[in-house]
Amino acid sequence: MNDDELITILREQRDKVPMNTPVEQIISRGRVVRARRRVPAVAGALGAAAAVAFAVSAALPASHPASHPAGGPGAQLAAWTVARQADGSIRVTIRELRDPAGLQHKLRADGVPASVTFTDQRNPACQGYPGGGSQSQRRHLLSSVATPGGGRNAMVIHPSALPSGTGLQIDALFQHYPGPRGSFQVGVGLVQASPQCTGS
Amino acid sequence: MGTQRLDFAEFYREAKDECLFAVVVSVGDRDTAQDLVDEAFARAWASWRTVSRHPAPAAWVVRTALNTGISRWRRRRREVPVPDLGLVADRPAAGGAAGSSVDPRIMAALLRLPARQRQVVALRLFLDLDTAGTARVLGIAPGTVQAHLGRAMAALREDLIPTWQEENQ
Repeated sequence: MNDDELITILREQRDKVPMNTPVEQIISRGRVVRARRRVPAVAGALGAAAAVAFAVSAALPASHPASHPAGGPGAQLAAWTVARQADGSIRVTIRELRDPAGLQHKLRADGVPASVTFTDQRNPACQGYPGGGSQSQRRHLLSSVATPGGGRNAMVIHPSALPSGTGLQIDALFQHYPGPRGSFQVGVGLVQASPQCTGS
Repeated sequence: MGTQRLDFAEFYREAKDECLFAVVVSVGDRDTAQDLVDEAFARAWASWRTVSRHPAPAAWVVRTALNTGISRWRRRRREVPVPDLGLVADRPAAGGAAGSSVDPRIMAALLRLPARQRQVVALRLFLDLDTAGTARVLGIAPGTVQAHLGRAMAALREDLIPTWQEENQ
């Protein structure tokens, strides 16, 4: 079988998933979209400003240099910053998707079993959270381990809240276009700690 | 379709199935894909003056659906544990495309591809975009599109052809 034959077989599948939503229902939903657009969106801009303000004023941290200056003359923001806080929590801010291995190493050195990737290929050695409980219980657990950091792509990790045998999987995904300064979001989840996944 | 102004209902009728299938392949779940495509078509209707002049309105819909899916996924990932990736990859495809008669082996093979390869396959093969159009939609270089497609085809050949050969013996 050559590629053309394989492609033909693959293309035959696309007619087998019909979309049944009536066009009237789509248009009705479209009217809701239009109405939603009339509400000005400022939250994103405020979030970005908060992240920059934090980055400029941060004093401590382990970091990876950014690829180029940002934030005005004399200021160079790190691609990411890891800062241990007085209460033992660790604040992580990611501004550029560079050096995930360095971030992973820093987190592990700070006592956070972590797997960090900045591509759509997560570490295949990572297994899902081993603990039981309902989804809401697991959600509650995660929300006690990692909380929003008050800025865009910033989070605060509470290592003491991590259950034994558990680590964090941190990754990022571009939303609109790739590149180190492209629009992206950072996500975090609980995984089973292992040498291959989280280093311990 | 080109730059000619289209009637939305006509566009929807012609493009809805291929858009849905492209998104099903990309996200791996029929119900999720259906909702994302519904939302993307609704946004297309809300911006129809612009979208109707887009060189590939169906690609606009698929890209919008995928971007919406990424945003939702990221919001959920803030709240719920990461699933076992092996389980996701090996989840029975028939369940993912429930209600359809898609060959489950083909869907399973597609879902085993990395996400970016699946998106390239969806746009190049199922939406019939050319390499340049696929590159524009995904925001990657044309050469990267070709590389992803080449790897995807190799993986699909390796995955599917032995099974078919065994059946024919």
